[in-house]
Amino acid sequence: MAEYAAKKFAQMLVTILGVVTLVFFTLRLIPGDAASAMAGDTLSGEALERLREQMGLGEPLVNQYFGFLRDLLAIDLGETITTRIPIAELLLRALPITLSIALGTIVLSVAFSIPLGTLAAYMAHKGRRWLDNALTGTAMVIDLMPSFWTALVLLLIFSLALGWFPASGQLNWNDPWGVAMRLALPVIVLSLSQVATLARITRTAVLEVLNEDYVRTARSLGWSELRVLFRHALKNAALPIATVVGLSFGNLLGGTVIVEFIFTIPGVGNLLITGINSRDYQLVQTLIVLYALLFVVINFTTDLIYKALDPRVQF
Amino acid sequence: MTGEFRKWLATGLTVLAGLTMATILASPATAQGKTLTVRFYDDPAGFDPANIFRIENENIAFNIFSGLTSYDGVTGEIIPDLATSWETADNKTWTFKLREGVTFHKGYGDFTAADVIYSFNRIKDPATASPYAAELAGIVSMEAPDPYTLVIELDAPNGNFLHTVANYHQGQIVSQKAIEEAGDQVRWQPIGTGPYYLDSIDVSSQIVLKRHEDYYDGPAPIETIVFNIIKDEATATIALRNGEVDLVMRANQEENLATLEAEGFTMNTVQNYAVALMVVNPEVEPLGDKRIRQAIAHAIDFAAITQAISPSLTQAHYSMLMPWMDVYTDDIPKYEYDPERARALMAEAGYPDGFSFKNLSTSAQGVSEVQQFQIDYLSQVGIDMEMELVDTPTFNQRRNAGDFDTATRLLPAVNPDMILFSFLHPDNLVPNGLNGARYDNPEVTELLEAARAEPDPEAAYEMYKRVQQIVAEDLPYIPTYASNVYWPGKPEVTGVHINYLAQVNFHDVDIAE
Repeated sequence: MAEYAAKKFAQMLVTILGVVTLVFFTLRLIPGDAASAMAGDTLSGEALERLREQMGLGEPLVNQYFGFLRDLLAIDLGETITTRIPIAELLLRALPITLSIALGTIVLSVAFSIPLGTLAAYMAHKGRRWLDNALTGTAMVIDLMPSFWTALVLLLIFSLALGWFPASGQLNWNDPWGVAMRLALPVIVLSLSQVATLARITRTAVLEVLNEDYVRTARSLGWSELRVLFRHALKNAALPIATVVGLSFGNLLGGTVIVEFIFTIPGVGNLLITGINSRDYQLVQTLIVLYALLFVVINFTTDLIYKALDPRVQF
Repeated sequence: MTGEFRKWLATGLTVLAGLTMATILASPATAQGKTLTVRFYDDPAGFDPANIFRIENENIAFNIFSGLTSYDGVTGEIIPDLATSWETADNKTWTFKLREGVTFHKGYGDFTAADVIYSFNRIKDPATASPYAAELAGIVSMEAPDPYTLVIELDAPNGNFLHTVANYHQGQIVSQKAIEEAGDQVRWQPIGTGPYYLDSIDVSSQIVLKRHEDYYDGPAPIETIVFNIIKDEATATIALRNGEVDLVMRANQEENLATLEAEGFTMNTVQNYAVALMVVNPEVEPLGDKRIRQAIAHAIDFAAITQAISPSLTQAHYSMLMPWMDVYTDDIPKYEYDPERARALMAEAGYPDGFSFKNLSTSAQGVSEVQQFQIDYLSQVGIDMEMELVDTPTFNQRRNAGDFDTATRLLPAVNPDMILFSFLHPDNLVPNGLNGARYDNPEVTELLEAARAEPDPEAAYEMYKRVQQIVAEDLPYIPTYASNVYWPGKPEVTGVHINYLAQVNFHDVDIAE
């Protein structure tokens, strides 16, 4: 186990280093830089050169690269190029918001998708195809709706017409209820497609298990259908579901970009958009390294959960 | 209904009412002065006059700082600001009388001529690396015979110097003490003499301005202005309709404008804010022939396109300058929609069967509806306009480098001399300047230089008029449309006068009771 963990850890470092290097150089391959992105229509020639100089874009690439690595090792995230704000400070405010959205989405979508998926599997197993088809069909349709569209539709219904949730406003952590109201719609939008995906995965996994011998054995022992379904079938189907939930957490961090934009939530996705639009290399590369780190850690954790759920898994 | 439930309901309602009352009583809005909430459409990038970009940041700075002169929000004319009067005999030596009793925000002291000298020298100082240094490069010397008189000597006559020292970019006056204390954080700690000061800022969600109680023209009617960052315009429209914001800075989508107008919101606007120009690279065959450029202009029905797509936001326009500019003339050749004439011009130029060129554009915007119409109109006379889509920074870089067949530029500016010099003078050829059409006509160059030096406004006007006529004939830039700016707001929000830099002076704004 210890040997395995060490190997995993080494792999993790190599992955991170690869991401850092790739991001650092591909970012700079894209034409345009922070100076021309910032000045837009207004500057050219010598004036633009001055701005470039002022932003420190003139330094040799290799120096910049090793400087970035050194800062990362010292856990110094640096400042944004365009606005000279410490990135750690920005993250400290943005990260809790995005994590709240992602966690809220996981909780909400698991709460809905697992019973729905199990129900669909049960119906399919019992030969009641119509209900199974209705459930999977609905899930498919929901999954196909783009989040920027559902976001706007939900805003029009629940914010404008019904007035239940605000469309804008500050996120003040001293007012948890206010924060919850602001984050409710983004969480619902993200949960919709999440529920659709997870319900389908659950259905497939449970359906497979329902045909296993031990389920038949459980039934023959005279246990109630519910007990068979949840104690035996679902428990054994939990493995693939847990994997997908774990991975989707990482995807969610990326998925918040669009909803954060539409619902004006100052989270990490918003920072990333700002960074990309302003060609703020420092901000973008730091955020991407952070995303990579999160993914790697999540994968690692998922592996551990795997082991906990199914001791048969061998490393 | 059981008695139990009724009791429970009564208790619940009482608690709720109590909570609501407590919230209302505790709300700071009722206890203090007026607050205006404004939609801000992008992340702020800082407010240091030496390094400020983009209209939304400039609008904040416009209210924090003052210049020697400023722009009237309604007429667009140059008006006194920190200078109460000025005189010049030759456009070369300028004497300004400065306003007395002006104070900087947050106790940074009284304003005097020394502050102007410091501010301008700071822009000119290479260590500041200000991209606006060139604007003040013509200043040879600045002297203050007394604290409220300033004499500025230029190296060459400049009839447009009052634009240079206006409350905009390099013209904004800072406090030496505040700049030195702020170090590399000047952009986030701006101290000026304007009607509002920066109270607090959260760069990803909110900017709060408070009124400067000692403002020379009296404190502004509104005490607090909260700028909420709402990037998506559909969301901003909902926020206004929900009453979450009082005023929307820049609404740019026709459908949102229509909705808000129908619901009775005030459509604060400035018309003819800027003109969009198609910049034509003459080094690409056959675009170097002026008959070809005229053919392009004749082939497209700009009036019909603007009417069809965005009648509120755009209208057809035939000049590089705007009607409200003092040197504008209407007496120029105009290229009305005339496909027959376009075909004739192409035949004359040796391209009876048409030709093709690539239009450089941003992928952020995609192929706009305007461009789809243009492609269609041009194809009807045999011209094939291909679209080359690149992302915005790439677009900016290639356009600055002059690396395109044609590209669009929208340069908002209030100073007509600046527009003409930037686009037409050979000193500003790409990649050194904005002259992407590589226009180099000795006659125009001579006229521009003479007009700038001419102290007599009438004589200068004649020269500017001649320039406009020659340029409309040569057509190095094809004007496509003029655009308008809207700030929809609640009906009770008054005094939203958007000036020709698309900025609002919040000292004029009030909320009716």
